[in-house]
Amino acid sequence: MVDDLRKYLNHLLEKVNGLHCILITDRDGVPLVRAVTERAPPLALRPNFISTFGMATDQASKLGLGRNKTIISMYSSYQVVQMSKLPLVITFIGSDNCNTGHILSLESQIEPFLKDLEVVVADAP
Amino acid sequence: MENDLDKVVEEIMSMPNVNGCLIADPQGLCLASKGAAHVDSAGIIVAISEQACKIQPNMKPPTVCLETDKKQCLIQRHGTITGAIFKLKT
Repeated sequence: MVDDLRKYLNHLLEKVNGLHCILITDRDGVPLVRAVTERAPPLALRPNFISTFGMATDQASKLGLGRNKTIISMYSSYQVVQMSKLPLVITFIGSDNCNTGHILSLESQIEPFLKDLEVVVADAP
Repeated sequence: MENDLDKVVEEIMSMPNVNGCLIADPQGLCLASKGAAHVDSAGIIVAISEQACKIQPNMKPPTVCLETDKKQCLIQRHGTITGAIFKLKT
């Protein structure tokens, strides 16, 4: 199952110009499935970077605008799009000029595969 | 701020057989949309126009026409802005 999903994520990586990696992790940043190209910044793949999203989304949900779903962080040479699919988190890392709208539209294509993974994370002690 | 853009979108929507209109920025984020055009399709519309530009990189961006039995979608890039018009076929 995970191999099929990884293949599918690699296929999605090729479809979006400038997209370097797609990671599916749990709330703490522990990677479950990852599709990575050699251009992805190694530091951004570490759990201590990815897990900061958990705190950020919790704080963003307190702004009175409803529950936070997505955070887009633009850096000088990278962009990071993180989606809350609790108990899972999807992280996309791309170049700064990568098509953000195209990355956001991948959500609906990945979503059907998350149900099985959610069960795995929910069952973990 | 976006009044001028809204005016343009209204003008396009008033044309015969037009049932949707979308304007997107180079990042694939929607600036304006009306009618049948869905906000989420902005990224894909910009990606289609980017790919079409690669066919003849030295020429001005081409107009892409996606056609089905009943509908038509015209995609055109102008500078950094990409526009899409959804039309019903007569």
